Amino acid sequence: MKRLVLLLALPLFSFAVNAKDQLHLYNWNNYIAPETVKRFEDACKCEVVQTYYSDNEELLAKLAAGAKGYDILVPTSNAMQSLIKGGQLKPIDKTQLPNLKNIDPAYLKTPFDPDNKYSVPYAMSLTVIGYNDQKIKELGLPTDTWAVVFDPQHLQKLKGRITVLDSSSELFAAALKYLGYSANDLDEAHWKQAAAVIKKAKPYWAAFNASSYIKELTVGNIWLVHGYSNDFFQANLDAQAAGRPFHILHGLPKEGAVLAVDNMVIHKDAPRPDLAHKFMNFMLEGKNSAELTNLIGSGNPNKDALKYIKPEILKNPAIFPDKAMLSKLEQLKDLTAAQRRVRNRMWTEIKAGR
Amino acid sequence: MRRRPVALWTAAFAGYAFLYIPLVIVVVYSFNDSRLNAEWVGFTFGWYDKLFHNEEMLTAAGNSLLIALVASAVSTLLGTMAGVAMYRYRAKLLSILVLTPIAIPEILMGVSLLIFFVMLNFTLGLVSVALAHIAFCIGFVAIVVRARLAGMDESLTEAARDCGATPFQAFMHVTLPLIMPGVIAGALMAFTLSIDDFVITFFTAGAGTVTLPLQIYSMIKIAVTPEVNAVSTLLMLLTLALIVIASHLTPSLLRSD
Repeated sequence: MKRLVLLLALPLFSFAVNAKDQLHLYNWNNYIAPETVKRFEDACKCEVVQTYYSDNEELLAKLAAGAKGYDILVPTSNAMQSLIKGGQLKPIDKTQLPNLKNIDPAYLKTPFDPDNKYSVPYAMSLTVIGYNDQKIKELGLPTDTWAVVFDPQHLQKLKGRITVLDSSSELFAAALKYLGYSANDLDEAHWKQAAAVIKKAKPYWAAFNASSYIKELTVGNIWLVHGYSNDFFQANLDAQAAGRPFHILHGLPKEGAVLAVDNMVIHKDAPRPDLAHKFMNFMLEGKNSAELTNLIGSGNPNKDALKYIKPEILKNPAIFPDKAMLSKLEQLKDLTAAQRRVRNRMWTEIKAGR
Repeated sequence: MRRRPVALWTAAFAGYAFLYIPLVIVVVYSFNDSRLNAEWVGFTFGWYDKLFHNEEMLTAAGNSLLIALVASAVSTLLGTMAGVAMYRYRAKLLSILVLTPIAIPEILMGVSLLIFFVMLNFTLGLVSVALAHIAFCIGFVAIVVRARLAGMDESLTEAARDCGATPFQAFMHVTLPLIMPGVIAGALMAFTLSIDDFVITFFTAGAGTVTLPLQIYSMIKIAVTPEVNAVSTLLMLLTLALIVIASHLTPSLLRSD
């Protein structure tokens, strides 16, 4: 009998011995280069287990309900604010992050986490204009201003060939910027002006599209898009790979744009905070951070990474904005419940109106 | 052969075209030598090759299959018992209990199951997902089985009892074979429901547990590659095979009697 128990317990036991240390990374899909993961696994003699989300709200909902088991999360700044407020994060121990010095100070101590008590920046993207260079040149349209998205004078040439993001916060931010206000402007009168601008432009837009514009651009159905900088990078890669006669380029509006920074944070119930810190420090190394930029064309707040980044990406101002532009970029802040109600009402009106 | 009106044929053709053309397109483009699902470039097996080297996608597909097999097996057993009990004892409360999970919005069920698992300190993973799937599949199996029982001639079971069969024997040798098409249809339904469920799976899956729908959904942001077409084609083949096998086991499944 004793032997039988031993026999049954044996596989369990051997499993426990074989089980490698694991780091659980809850990340966006395709948001870390496979070779980077491999190198980290070799260095820490552990296994990186990734789970993906496709929306900050998904992450928030799941953690709010009490899910645990994740070590590192990569939320966007405003979602991180909710996580901090909800007490979901563990403070980081900066003595374990000597590479933190590599981060450009412009991206540290933001209002979202003033002392970087919980977070370090990971990568970023800009909400800009992406366009088909051939078509836009033929039409003679500007690409350095939000006017091309909102001004009917330009739009009449683009009717049915332009899409905007299906997101009230992004679209209002662009319209507010176009009007010369802050993207985080809270004045209801300004919101009304922005809504009016959007309503006037809407008949010219082909769609509110947040998910398939990469494909529409590469196929050539859509010529100009309000969307994310790394998506346009992907669209151009796809267009070139498919042998298209045109390029998908970035247009950086002179009025300014929305900047979205994703941050690494540690969950409060992280099973392995030690590995989490190791991973953070590893990703703050220039070379590792640069691999992500080279893969997906994301912006990079890491000064040490610049020398590893492909020159054609580095010189793209919509991925690496210069000082002057940087001052016009804004990260979106969360709205209060009351503000969100007002905004939602306007958004419903916009989307339902003909 | 009786002549059927042309209108009926046209309507049937249109109906089937609407159902099957999208599927055919998915299959065709899985052999397309282009990353874009937009135009035909050339024939290739490249995406299948890529798929078989994509460990993440294979793990996800394996997890989905495993969960679907376990969930459909367990829920078929429990669902059949529930269906029989609902029919035989006409227990109102039982019907409500079994059928509520079907009527509840998925998101509500997902969140409440997650909160429940967290409360029990149950580690989220394949097991929690399988349990959740079993929970919502039972109702579907029970409904199908009960419907099948309603169309059954009760006197057959009574005849078996008259001939000396115990209730259990009567069930195994008379009732069960007669309701078998319903049981198998229920099992297939449970299998498909489980393999493509997103919402409930999303909430009940733990760190590192990825199923195919979760994997594909997370890829939508960065454009779905034809690898997804390839994996979908393989899944379709599998489903088709299951239906063929099932209809061989119970020929009456595909007959309309």
